[in-house]
Amino acid sequence: MPENLTAIPKLGVGLAYQPALRPFLETRGDTFDYLEVVPDILWTDLGAGTAPRYIDDKAGIDFLRRVAGDRPVVPHGIGLSIGTAHRFNRGQLDQIEKWHGWFQFPWHSDHLAWNLAEHGVDELNAGVTLPLPRDQETLDALAPRVAEVRRRLPVPFLLENNVYFFSMPGEEMSDAEFLNALCAQTGCGLLLDLHNVYCNARNHRTDPFRLLAELDLANVVEIHVAGGMEHEGWYLDAHSGPLPEPVWELLRHCLPRCPNLGGVTFEMLGSWFVEMGGDRLAQELTALREAWHRWQPVPSHLVEVAA
Amino acid sequence: MSAATFQALFARLVIDPTFRDDVRAQGATALDGDLTALERERLLFVSADPGMDVTRTLHKGFRLSKLMGQLPLTCAALGKEALAREVAEFWRRNPPVSFYYLAEAVAFCDFLAARLEEGMEAPTPYLAEVAAWERAGLELQRPRPEGEVPPLQIVEFAHDPLPLLAALRRGEAPEPAERPCLMIGGYDGGKVEWRLAED
Repeated sequence: MPENLTAIPKLGVGLAYQPALRPFLETRGDTFDYLEVVPDILWTDLGAGTAPRYIDDKAGIDFLRRVAGDRPVVPHGIGLSIGTAHRFNRGQLDQIEKWHGWFQFPWHSDHLAWNLAEHGVDELNAGVTLPLPRDQETLDALAPRVAEVRRRLPVPFLLENNVYFFSMPGEEMSDAEFLNALCAQTGCGLLLDLHNVYCNARNHRTDPFRLLAELDLANVVEIHVAGGMEHEGWYLDAHSGPLPEPVWELLRHCLPRCPNLGGVTFEMLGSWFVEMGGDRLAQELTALREAWHRWQPVPSHLVEVAA
Repeated sequence: MSAATFQALFARLVIDPTFRDDVRAQGATALDGDLTALERERLLFVSADPGMDVTRTLHKGFRLSKLMGQLPLTCAALGKEALAREVAEFWRRNPPVSFYYLAEAVAFCDFLAARLEEGMEAPTPYLAEVAAWERAGLELQRPRPEGEVPPLQIVEFAHDPLPLLAALRRGEAPEPAERPCLMIGGYDGGKVEWRLAED
């Protein structure tokens, strides 16, 4: 287990920020312990060679500061594309460093995937997170990049297990073996997305509890939960509402077994908020908090208040 | 760097259905470039896997949702059939290059204007002016360095713009009266403001 994961603060239950959730965030701040944010939606990357390259959404950032109050704001990036072979997206790291100056977050994360690829003199952005082959060659390519992220930011860096719709020939490791080796060899922590685990298990007819049994859960710093939907015979990580019961079962399995867990984040796309509604969202967050309190210590900010 | 070539071809399998079909039909001969035997085997395998189709569906769905989110009235003025046709052609010519889709939405408006200029049969008589108006709105909202003020936008309408845009927003088929006029848009206090030019 990476040594830097043992002092993770216990944040409790977080909500993933979406602009459509703003009215909820302003009125139901009592329902979550921290805010997770995809920081990329609060800046615009004008592309390599432009100056300035990044335009920050100052109004959006001010809103976050205001609704978060004393609660942590934890960035969960989508732009690092850490698995991209032809270049490392260091501009993204510059931005995350700036955010750390602003928000002093206790950890940050991105996806164990890639979305940028060479395309002639230009670059493609697939817009979806594409899977990396589960082999030592991939780990060798990731290790110096994770090391660079860890050098530049003084807080744990997590990578999130990806959804994939196909395996590739010649893969050397199972999901659990790959994630364990990733953490052991690079020193990153794991953002364990249980809905992604459920998607993969359902689509590939595997046993998610077997994966969890093989996974070193001491590496897990954050858990993501969400709802999904069926589409043409596939189950999609659509972030489309409350947790399905199988994801609750996975969460109940993990909560007592993840000693370094800092938080459980509920993710939902803003477009589904209208359908789900504020009351139902509050109910889901309350249920998550009840589960947290059953198996995890009291969140750090509540301990401080009690003291 | 064969890993970079592998990913470039992999990404093309996701975004370019013609390339995917070529790889499915022709096998390894469709895969140019510096690749290891294992990388070639993996590309052939995933090109034929049904999982590639759902990956492509997700890619298309995400990209289309960005376009529809930024150009809702243009998409309504196009209608479902013409939208699907024009988007497919636009994507064929313009691969996705950024996570930030405002520039792509502006480029799509320019593409539609060029298509109309070339003689494309417009599905509705007001498509050009609605697309120009939404394009101008995006230009006004384009993120800019602090202190830079976007230039005023002037859009020429052939039809009465207020009932036309209102009907499209309600999801109704407009029956706009002809009324040649200009709308002028500016960006003030974080908001786009439009007004009709004086006659």
